[in-house]
Amino acid sequence: MSDKLFKIILSSSAVIILLISGGMVYSLTSGSIPAFKEFGFFNFIFSPEWNATPGNEEYGALTFIVGTIMTSLLALLFCIPFSLPVAIFIGEYFKGKRIASVLGTIVDLLAGIPSIVYGLWGFYVLRPLIVSLGLSEQGFGVLTASLVLAIMIIPYAASLSSEFIRLVPGELKEGAYSLGATRAEVIQSIIFPLAGPGIFSAYMLALGRAFGETMAVTMLIGNANIIPTSLTDTGNTMASIIANQFGEAGGLKLSSLIAIGLLLFIITAIINYIGKLIIKRRNQ
Amino acid sequence: MKISRYRNIKNKALYIGVIILSGLTAVPLIAILVKVILKGWRQINFDFFTQTTPTTLDAIYAINAGEIIPGGIANGIIGMLLMVLMACVIAIPIGIICGIYLAENTKSHLASIVRFLTDLLQGIPSIVVGIIIYIWVVIPMKSYSAIAGGVALSIIMLPLIVRSTEETLKMLPTTLKEAGLSLGASYSSVVFRVILPSAFGGIFTGILLAVSRVIGETAPLMLTALGSSAVQWDVTKPASSVSLLIWEFYNDPNLQNMIWSASLFLLMFILILNIFAKRISNKWRI
Amino acid sequence: MKTMKKLMIILSIVAVVLSSCNSSGKKKIDLSGAGATFPQPYYNLAFKSFQQKSGTAISYGAIGSGGGIRSLKDGIVDFAGSDAYLSDDEAAEMKAVIHIPSCLGAVVLSYNLPGIDKLNLTGPIVAAIFMGKITKWNDPQIMAINEGISLPDKSITAVYRSDGSGTTYVFSDYMTKISPEWKEQIGTGKSLNFPIGIASKGNPGVAGTISQTEGSIGYIGSEYAFALKTTIANLQNPAGEFITPSAASISAAAQGDIPEDTRTMITNSTAPGAYPISCFTWLLVYQEQNYSKRTIEQAQATVDLMKYMIGDEAQSLTTQIHYAPLPQGVKEKAAKAIAKITYNGNPLK
Repeated sequence: MSDKLFKIILSSSAVIILLISGGMVYSLTSGSIPAFKEFGFFNFIFSPEWNATPGNEEYGALTFIVGTIMTSLLALLFCIPFSLPVAIFIGEYFKGKRIASVLGTIVDLLAGIPSIVYGLWGFYVLRPLIVSLGLSEQGFGVLTASLVLAIMIIPYAASLSSEFIRLVPGELKEGAYSLGATRAEVIQSIIFPLAGPGIFSAYMLALGRAFGETMAVTMLIGNANIIPTSLTDTGNTMASIIANQFGEAGGLKLSSLIAIGLLLFIITAIINYIGKLIIKRRNQ
Repeated sequence: MKISRYRNIKNKALYIGVIILSGLTAVPLIAILVKVILKGWRQINFDFFTQTTPTTLDAIYAINAGEIIPGGIANGIIGMLLMVLMACVIAIPIGIICGIYLAENTKSHLASIVRFLTDLLQGIPSIVVGIIIYIWVVIPMKSYSAIAGGVALSIIMLPLIVRSTEETLKMLPTTLKEAGLSLGASYSSVVFRVILPSAFGGIFTGILLAVSRVIGETAPLMLTALGSSAVQWDVTKPASSVSLLIWEFYNDPNLQNMIWSASLFLLMFILILNIFAKRISNKWRI
Repeated sequence: MKTMKKLMIILSIVAVVLSSCNSSGKKKIDLSGAGATFPQPYYNLAFKSFQQKSGTAISYGAIGSGGGIRSLKDGIVDFAGSDAYLSDDEAAEMKAVIHIPSCLGAVVLSYNLPGIDKLNLTGPIVAAIFMGKITKWNDPQIMAINEGISLPDKSITAVYRSDGSGTTYVFSDYMTKISPEWKEQIGTGKSLNFPIGIASKGNPGVAGTISQTEGSIGYIGSEYAFALKTTIANLQNPAGEFITPSAASISAAAQGDIPEDTRTMITNSTAPGAYPISCFTWLLVYQEQNYSKRTIEQAQATVDLMKYMIGDEAQSLTTQIHYAPLPQGVKEKAAKAIAKITYNGNPLK
């Protein structure tokens, strides 16, 4: 194949992505316009109201924005101390050995459990556990949802990170060992810097997954349209309210739900951008 | 050279810490897996794979008689396979090629925009993808269909494949590429015959994760494929999938047992894919 | 790499071949419908039986009444299922739609009080519970109508639906009728702002929460409650009797005055022996069947399905799975409605 043709094929795939994302933003925006027109763009974002009584309808996204960010960031926080060690276990310490393969398979299996089963497990197992530990009175809430979410995103973070850790060239590591570095130091000063960008993007993907998770969260977060102020409070997330209300919504409510979908898009963009800035700062 | 005590302790501590935390991670996983297996294995028999879903009446008779619920999830299995296949055919080529593009064009402006947008796509709740495909595919086709479901799933799969391909390629030593080019091979040959095979592990992981994700998706399929109680080979008609069936079982008071057996099926499917993937990637690893 | 490419090509060919598989040969009619979750178990059963008789396969997706109506509006389905009839505003946005009631169900109050398997409640008391005004089980108002039952000194936990649902709609429709306070504070709708209590997703969520929480009470669909054999409260009807929900008392609610097009809520029915929170669920079809390039065979198949659903065979299935059949008067009205369906202006038999 000629180089030129190849380059064209490469660029056209990029264009396809542009078209798809652009198209989605367009569809979401045109669906949200009625809601923004009615409530005002910034008013909608910062309003904690969600009142569906006909004649008195008022919708706002703040409750859900806070809920989404809280649960997703918490989930990421909970998952890092477990997914990172697993990635190091599989990609470095026991690289190539049977046990790494077994652990890797177990972690990958987690990715295949349907979110409704996570929700059920959380409902029947985790929630009573939290209630009996005295952490929360009725068991639903930000904490429960974040815990289950953390378990759900572990495979994304761990699997991909382990691949990147694996790919660090052996010569670089051997060079460090020959200079007298311990294993821990090799991990710290060779593997992490090199696999770092990959690992970071793996966690960004995991975060994105957490933002968009619907089923498991909606069964455990309590679905109260209030802004949670503590871990044990109930709340609601953007994905959850869309999933819960979409089937029965019409008119202004439907438009508000689509607007929330658009906002989720925007918030994911902002968080991703902030993440990239952090990486840039560190590299300087 | 003697290693200082501090460095020695740090070394051992990290080692032990990693092992303990990895072990702890395995705990909830195994807990969930065990629960699914225990609650689900009884329903699995030959019929499970070949029969269509039982009605609630069948279930009532079975429960009253103390037997397992008859029927199976064949309509879900076939629908799922068809839609995942379509999604793969769409998402894998586009995803890998876009990943190559991004890895080869790290500085370009267009590339950073595309990279950004891909990360955005990852964060969209699957139900929003479903809403959009409903507008783009279902309404013009004037029918719910497996095609619409496949398209929705492919969009969900894309970001994972693109990013994992890109990041894996970026980690490959540039010497590989340079060696190939210096031998006079064309750019595309070097990519297809040298770079991609070395990156196979990472790429396949991304694909595997993407497939695992979409076989568990319900919301987008409700709005695009609708569901079907019969095995449906015609992709322009509504189709079911195992995840959709799980949702139906959830809502039916008599079919609760089927939730677990259907989930067990999904897990076995992922396991088989995993084993298959590891076999292939071991063969291809340079 | 070559094998990968070959594999991809083979897979895509297989996909294309499979998709053209069914276009040849005998023209099989497939119908598709979408809508309410409540009747799905019944529809799956009835549709399967219809398929065995007529060869027409039917797909029904329980995506919610709103989703079903939207699908019908967009012309993508043959029929929609809805727990609420189209309001005049909604109907004005679409071409003429015929409502065909398919069966009856009810919203029952399930509670968790160990050792107490019979409980009487009235509408106003239930309203007060869900509005947080009555907070303990041994409240004098509850004790007054439950002589001989020792109610514990426990807090009441109210459980309601977190997702938009026809069940909530029917429940709140009844509440609005019997409690002016409810009408003002909470109102009628598919998803409401409850001041207190726990929200759970779907019937199974509410039922699950109730079974795990002592002292809780919540509203769930009757078919669900009957199947799970949960403890259900008796509700007082306008005549002052405490009615136990059952197929008979639910069907009785439809014996009253029903308009010709059957578009009515039958909650708080004054018919004798009627359970106060009963409801129809409808199948909605377009009166003029020539939309979205449908063939006359498709339209005929749809009419045949509608006739089957109000026929004796389908109706006899309802009680076996804890729904309630249509009484004779309603069946006649439904039959008249079906007779109005046309294709290109000509009525279909």
